[in-house]
Amino acid sequence: MEPIEEELEDEAALELPSEPMKLNMGPSHPAMHGTIRMVLDLDGEIIQEVDVQPGYLHRGFEKSCERGTWQQVYPYADRLNYVSPMLNNVGFSLAAEKLLGITVPERCQYYRVILGELARIADHLTCNGAGAMELGAFTPFLWCLKVRDWVWDILEKETGARMTHSFGRIGGMARPPTATLKEDVRALLPEIEKVLMEVETMLLRNRIFLDRMQGVGILTKELALDAGVTGPMLRSTGVDYDVRKAHPYLVYDRFDFDVPIGHDGDNYDRFLVRTEEMRQSCRILAQACDQMPDDGPINVDDPRVMLPEKHAVYTTIEATIAHFKLVMEGIKIPPGEVYSYTEAGNGELGFYLVSDGSGTPYRVRCRPPCFINLAICRDMLLGEMVADIIPTFGSVNMIGGECDR
Amino acid sequence: MPTFKLNGQDLAYQPGDTIIRAAWRAGIEIPHYCWHPGLSVAANCRMCLVEVKSGRPMMLPILQWDAKKNEYVEATKPKLVPACQQAVTDGLEVTSQSDQVKQAQASVQEFLLLNHPVDCPICDQAGECKLQDYWLAHQTKLKRKATEPVHKVKGVRFGPTIVYDGERCVMCTRCVRFNEEVVKDPVLDMRERGNVNEIVLSPGRELDHKYSLMNEHVCPVGALTSRDFRFKARVWFLKAAPSVCGGCATGCNDFIDFDPRTQEVQRLRPRDNESVNQYWMCDDGMMSYRRFHEDRVRLGRVRMGAEFTDVAPTAALKEAAGLLAAAKEGGRKLGVVLSAQHASEDNFVLARLARDVLGASAVYLAAQGGWDGDAILRDADNNPNRAGATAVAAQHGFASLGTTETLLGDVAAGRIGVVLALGWASKESSTELAGLGRVPMISFTSNEGALPSVATVVVPVAVHAEMYGTFTNRAGLAQQFKRAVHPPPGIKPAWEALLDLARALGANLNLGKLEDVRRALPASPPPAQPAATA
Amino acid sequence: MSAKILARLQAQFGARILSTSSFRGDDTAVVAAKDWREVALFLKTDAETALDHFTDLTAVDYPEREPGLPRFDVLVHARSMRKGHRFTLKTRVRDGESLDSLLPVWRGADWTERECFDMFGIVFRGHPDLRRILMYPEFTGHPLRKDYPIERVQPLVKYRDEDNIEKLAPFGPEEGQPFARIDWQARLLGEDLQVAPALAVQQGQKHNTSETSATQKGAPLPAEIPGKA
Repeated sequence: MEPIEEELEDEAALELPSEPMKLNMGPSHPAMHGTIRMVLDLDGEIIQEVDVQPGYLHRGFEKSCERGTWQQVYPYADRLNYVSPMLNNVGFSLAAEKLLGITVPERCQYYRVILGELARIADHLTCNGAGAMELGAFTPFLWCLKVRDWVWDILEKETGARMTHSFGRIGGMARPPTATLKEDVRALLPEIEKVLMEVETMLLRNRIFLDRMQGVGILTKELALDAGVTGPMLRSTGVDYDVRKAHPYLVYDRFDFDVPIGHDGDNYDRFLVRTEEMRQSCRILAQACDQMPDDGPINVDDPRVMLPEKHAVYTTIEATIAHFKLVMEGIKIPPGEVYSYTEAGNGELGFYLVSDGSGTPYRVRCRPPCFINLAICRDMLLGEMVADIIPTFGSVNMIGGECDR
Repeated sequence: MPTFKLNGQDLAYQPGDTIIRAAWRAGIEIPHYCWHPGLSVAANCRMCLVEVKSGRPMMLPILQWDAKKNEYVEATKPKLVPACQQAVTDGLEVTSQSDQVKQAQASVQEFLLLNHPVDCPICDQAGECKLQDYWLAHQTKLKRKATEPVHKVKGVRFGPTIVYDGERCVMCTRCVRFNEEVVKDPVLDMRERGNVNEIVLSPGRELDHKYSLMNEHVCPVGALTSRDFRFKARVWFLKAAPSVCGGCATGCNDFIDFDPRTQEVQRLRPRDNESVNQYWMCDDGMMSYRRFHEDRVRLGRVRMGAEFTDVAPTAALKEAAGLLAAAKEGGRKLGVVLSAQHASEDNFVLARLARDVLGASAVYLAAQGGWDGDAILRDADNNPNRAGATAVAAQHGFASLGTTETLLGDVAAGRIGVVLALGWASKESSTELAGLGRVPMISFTSNEGALPSVATVVVPVAVHAEMYGTFTNRAGLAQQFKRAVHPPPGIKPAWEALLDLARALGANLNLGKLEDVRRALPASPPPAQPAATA
Repeated sequence: MSAKILARLQAQFGARILSTSSFRGDDTAVVAAKDWREVALFLKTDAETALDHFTDLTAVDYPEREPGLPRFDVLVHARSMRKGHRFTLKTRVRDGESLDSLLPVWRGADWTERECFDMFGIVFRGHPDLRRILMYPEFTGHPLRKDYPIERVQPLVKYRDEDNIEKLAPFGPEEGQPFARIDWQARLLGEDLQVAPALAVQQGQKHNTSETSATQKGAPLPAEIPGKA
């Protein structure tokens, strides 16, 4: 720093001249969720330039998919957005089924909606809870995680795993729903609402929380659209776009639910949109539980796609052959390419699949919503303070597994 | 060229073709079990039924279930014909995709699996079984029969090489026809009828002729399996490399099936080549893969007096270079032995080395002594590349090639003072070759044998499954083969090892790459009269 | 739904739209690399197409294409917020050929083009900051090309050299259960032959079983020599 030479008349006019400072934030920083590096140019506390560098969690998802069967993509897909793996399972199933040209039975569609909405609630709870915690509010975080555990209890009962379920199948689901599914979900819904209310009571009139959320990390509508932003982040800017409403898939057109939108596109709006979306998910869950048939097939009836029943594999040659062919060679998806999209926790989760007619995917491209959302993180941060990075980055909800693949 | 229409596509055919053969020529598969391009037509599996649309197709009256009326109604359907038996005529219109055909295929498939045991997990054919491929492609429904299947004999030893499983058999009679028509030894036949039908041996006989292993490969299902390959590997783990059999001078085209994880060759399998081996191979040829792993020389060897010391391949090579340099200084005459067992590339580099660097006095050709040939495939000369080695020698001006016998004489008479030999094969046994031990001898060899046993220095090299190379067969056809497995660590193909030797002697042959060697190889002579194959 | 877009494009650009397709409801148009940015800009700004919402930009590698066709497909998906329709624009570029950046058209092309460059080595002309994004700068090669071996590792820090620890590449054609697994390096050399016929057909080979092979009639193997021998 240069020494101050000139005489100053008024002390209030004193400005400390400073050179821009380089600061590395991450990749090993608690608020960077472990996987992002930001190279900051700081003028005092003000961010002049920021280079967001993802890639620290790159595992080669797309390359790995090109070496197994179509069915073997599921475990990889689970690990994309590992906070809501069921939504990835559903997204990939729908993409592969679109390429195959099949539709799963109605009961399965409801089942996918229920499991998917539960996963969405878990996703939003994590984002909002962690966001609050990073601003010092630890109690709401624990409350949110408590509810997430209840959600996971249901998912565990259904799929056998709390997080990486690998429960989807091309043409159906691994198992039919348990007998207690509806009962469990119905019992959980009021509990979720209750905790959401408690969390809001804790935060929404809290000065610390409001000061760091309101008017911080503003994203404009035009930029969001141009950059391809989707999900709660886009809706917080006031754009009414939810894949479930705009391009209904599964049975989403049969439910009565609203798409919450924000106004300012700041962190506060993103928080509110996510909270409201959880309430809407609860509405969908209640309706889905009412509408879902109690019996009927879950899987499509086509031995070229679905594995046969285990007892048949052991006793009949036909099922043995079907099992053998599907496991050893995989489902033969006819040549073609499709782009299929669903609404995941962070926005539009797209799969662009190319098949060459063999049992191995030729190309599996995942359009990761948070990678595309993160791309304009720079614009949201310029001119803000260093401390604002934490709530802003938190409300973008970058999930390393999905962003870096 | 006359044409006909198959599924709307114009296909050329040759006069006398059946529908299935004309389609096969065009690379289109009509599903079939009993038809084989090299065998007569039996038309007993009924899988290849197709609908002939041109002319006046015969219509059969049938009763068809009408779900709306909830009763059977009268209808007609075209009579289907077996594509393996129906000759093609000009402008014939055939479809193999109509509903009637699909229904027929599904019914045949259901029928063939009626009594099939749940054997896939323990069956060696799994993965290359037509029952599996066709079920998923042409039926996909469970069978309607719920009763206990008919049980038949299992695991019957048909001979030293083949085991029969009656329950898996689909009675296509390909094996019966193969033994009768190709081998002319009708040792198999069919007994009984209906669902107790089975394949049996002729009384008092065994399946023990020289082509018995081919029965495994003509069998479309897992009924006949090879005792050698049984339970050794699962085919979906294996990769194949197109190669040429090293068993005899016929040069049958084969696939080397190997496990890429263990780098082990598991079997040889015939590869179609109508001008060489058609679709067949002999037992000895198919079993010659054992030489890739058995009796291998994996380390270099140096002899001190009567004692052998194992050394690294590079050390053996250095020793060999020293020996040759000393011999040259001492003015000892060099004899070079080419090998009829090695690829032309190996022989070429050795001949080039002998002429340009070492100044060899005489060149010999080592070869195995021959076996019993026949008129089907087996040549009396059981060396794969005698023609190639001879051509390479002639190219380098070594017109008269001695044999190992004349080499013995020359060494005894003192006309040769040092020997550089390629390969393990020789007509004589190691005791007969003991006379060579009197002079320093270097052996480049892949396997143990008479030549390495009398050598002073042994340098290990790759077998032909471990290299890219060329064999010239008895008809003068030069056939290239590809590498299947990697050589053991430190071991190179003979031509590369010989180039290393030249480098150690301070010479540069300007042959760094396989392309360089292949470009310099003699053009294959005009093929002689192709040998008669059955 | 968006067949209108195809008609609109064809009316505007005529023969410069090389081909169009509609598969399972996805409408796609293929344009030459030189028309890439112009057509994209039209799609965004035209009142009828109005594809203002960027969706995704990616590429596919087809190394086995016949020589006349370029190796890479580059695609951009976009949707219209007002009209609610979606569209895919595709172009083809050769290896080493560069393509106009779409960054002036859609802001979303920024990171997605960087990823394309990182994964496929496609250079976008006019992109101000074309760096690797998911891989590190020291990385060599482009991992999503089919000829990049999946088992290759390029650790920045060398693996520890310790006894009794086997340091194997995480993947490889020789690892685990190679059901239906394609060894692209060998396949591009014509050497990845499956024994199981169904797998062979699936991997784009002709039948290689004995009696169904109509491929090897009376000819020795072609004299091509794979890479280093």
